[in-house]
Amino acid sequence: MEMTEATLTMQSAKRGRVDPHRSMRAYDADADLMLLHFGPQHPSTHGVFRMDLHLDGEIIVKATPYVGYLHRAVEKLCERLTYVQQTPVVDKNDYVSPMTNEQALTMAFEKLLGVEVPRRARWMRTLFAELQRVASHLLWLGTFALDLGGALGGGSTLFLHCFRERELILDLFEEVTGARFHYNTHLIGGNRHDLPAGFAAKVHSALAIVESRIAEYEVLSLNNGIFQMRSRGVGVLDGELALELGVTGPNLRASGVDHDLRRDAPYGAYDELAVNVVTAQGGDCYARTQVRFGELRESIRLARAAIDGMPEGPICGHKPIRQPGQAKATSGQVYVGIETPRGELGTFVIGGGDTPTCPYRLKIRPPSLHALSALPYILPGATVSDAVAILGSLDPIMGEADR
Amino acid sequence: MAMSEDPPKGKRLPLYDESALPYEHPLYKTLLSVPGLSVAVAPLDMILQWGMTNALWIFPMATSCCGIELMAAAASRVDLDRMGTIVRATPRQADVMVVAGTITVKMAPRVKRLWDQMPEPKWCIAMGSCAISGDFYRDLYSVIPGIDTVLPVDVYIPGCPPNPEGLMHGLMRLQEKVKLAREGGLPTREENPALLDLTRPSVMRFKDPARDPSVTLAQEEAALHATAQDSSDERPVDGPAVTFAPAEARAPDVDGEFEAILAGEFGVTELPKDAPPIVEAARHVELARRLRAAGYRQLVLVAATHYPEKTGAKAQAERFEVTYGLRTIGARSRVALWRVCLAPGESVDTLVGVYAGADWQEREQFDLLGVTFAGHPDLRRLMLSGDWQGHPLRKDYPADKACAPWR
Repeated sequence: MEMTEATLTMQSAKRGRVDPHRSMRAYDADADLMLLHFGPQHPSTHGVFRMDLHLDGEIIVKATPYVGYLHRAVEKLCERLTYVQQTPVVDKNDYVSPMTNEQALTMAFEKLLGVEVPRRARWMRTLFAELQRVASHLLWLGTFALDLGGALGGGSTLFLHCFRERELILDLFEEVTGARFHYNTHLIGGNRHDLPAGFAAKVHSALAIVESRIAEYEVLSLNNGIFQMRSRGVGVLDGELALELGVTGPNLRASGVDHDLRRDAPYGAYDELAVNVVTAQGGDCYARTQVRFGELRESIRLARAAIDGMPEGPICGHKPIRQPGQAKATSGQVYVGIETPRGELGTFVIGGGDTPTCPYRLKIRPPSLHALSALPYILPGATVSDAVAILGSLDPIMGEADR
Repeated sequence: MAMSEDPPKGKRLPLYDESALPYEHPLYKTLLSVPGLSVAVAPLDMILQWGMTNALWIFPMATSCCGIELMAAAASRVDLDRMGTIVRATPRQADVMVVAGTITVKMAPRVKRLWDQMPEPKWCIAMGSCAISGDFYRDLYSVIPGIDTVLPVDVYIPGCPPNPEGLMHGLMRLQEKVKLAREGGLPTREENPALLDLTRPSVMRFKDPARDPSVTLAQEEAALHATAQDSSDERPVDGPAVTFAPAEARAPDVDGEFEAILAGEFGVTELPKDAPPIVEAARHVELARRLRAAGYRQLVLVAATHYPEKTGAKAQAERFEVTYGLRTIGARSRVALWRVCLAPGESVDTLVGVYAGADWQEREQFDLLGVTFAGHPDLRRLMLSGDWQGHPLRKDYPADKACAPWR
């Protein structure tokens, strides 16, 4: 059998880890490799993301990702804004789950400034985070079905259905905050908007609809033969490699690593709500789908528990922190990581500097960027059509990866 | 024509203005001279207008949040399809470019290229405040202040992001505009009929100096150079081979073990109250290796910080700080943070050999703060284009420093 670059890559990908830094000069000069630019504008890149794929026939032998096409200088902007001005900015980072962005940032600021959060506010944040996780995973499922193309009834069937259910969750948020999308509802030390009257009944009825439909979609996708052919054994990410690369969230748990910050480093109301961590063993696109379906059910259960057990009481301190002068830090360095739908969203803040009302340095640790950094390892050996499925299954959001 | 001549070798093409080229469609005069033709084609024109108005196919230039609302508008509840508007992901089949999201300096040339690939007649909708004006990213180094600095916009839809209903309203306004333009109610962009004007671009070129007289030719050239060199500069260079540390068995969870390791094996006994402990730059890779063996399996944070001269709070040897964070996996997850201090020009050893995930994180800090990591196999810029000048997250880099020619 002739040893082409494609077969060599597939063999080495099976044997062990691919070296992403291998020079192009190390490849066979006569192999007739083709360079395919993928992105930055492509409907399946989930935003603006670019890859250079070196192909031998249909097989990828080397993948070089490029990010930064949506680099909006958020960290520089946050250094210029006061502590109380920043929630609307981070809303736009991971625009599929703004609630968890706000939560990560306000939690870091609360730790830096030493602000207590009332119990009801913590429970409300947990409720919002779980509802947001449902909405985010639904959006992921719809777009992943689009990525897989014809596998699910022309591709857009599941997309249309998932968006229908996602709107139910957005309606709930709109009722609380007045906004469909960028909520700006987290304050340092509490929440800005209280739950309206009759909210619990609405949450329950929306979740009942979503839950029954999810059962349908699970049968539609996971039991679908074409879906399995497109996702089983595709883009296998080893658990060891995932840990080393900093991949977190559902992508890590699909590789068999039992790690979830909601259970392992509880925040909000998670120490009072027992979280069941969903894991799968395959590490492939199918396992990532399985994990997200499991998390959808688990999030619905947690959201129900949160709204049922919602304690009474104030939602923020006696004097809400709304003015810049109320939030000052002269020193301190804190790191806080929370579990968003995409994994560990960390916020590292350094207080002090010339203006005590602004952070001196703010670094956001985006889970999407770390998921994308796995691509040069798992793409070689796959086909071009699988590249879209693998990228989609990692659920990257470029606004967060590039910031 | 002038365009067909080959440019002299070794010389860059001069900046061109295609609108100045004399061009006329070969059939134009013949068609004008046919008596009564304009009357005869009037019903055809009405059919064309009807079709054009009710089949505005969208090219989604969806970069960020507004793109999600664009998807929501195309999905079940709002359903743009009933207006004859469907989303085509290729510019060659689309009539309307919906710029939904922030356009960065790195992305703007690509947007312009995609716009040029769309056939005439074409329209553009700026959806959301980022596409209209840049929103609060407007003054920052990497975002362009509105898409209308790059291409002509027909309809602006305010909001952050606009609701799907807002997008639908914008499309209806565009339909009105298309109708009016076909009926002569609006001045057309070109003097010649659009259908016969096959090569003239409807807008001045992005790099056309006539677009903004305050921009000098040198700036334009620099910008041209910047975008043209972008991809070629990003090629990986050869580096030393990376060795991957083998996976160690997980140690039991013990609180305070990080402090014990620091004090016992690295001689760091002084633990500041409000900041992570400082570790010698020469020994921090050893520390990372030791902690990895102790169960800290994930590198969660590499964050460099710049302390410029003028604040005076820090000594010369502490101009830069790199903070590292590790996390344990499983129950009772803990984070270990430490700092490494550097003088300007000094570099810190890379952690790529211990954690493969350090690769991109260190590239990002190199890109934004100019801290170099010795032994990194592939130390290139990550976020900004390859020829960017300066490191924007340094404190002495002005927040609104112009890089793009439209600044």
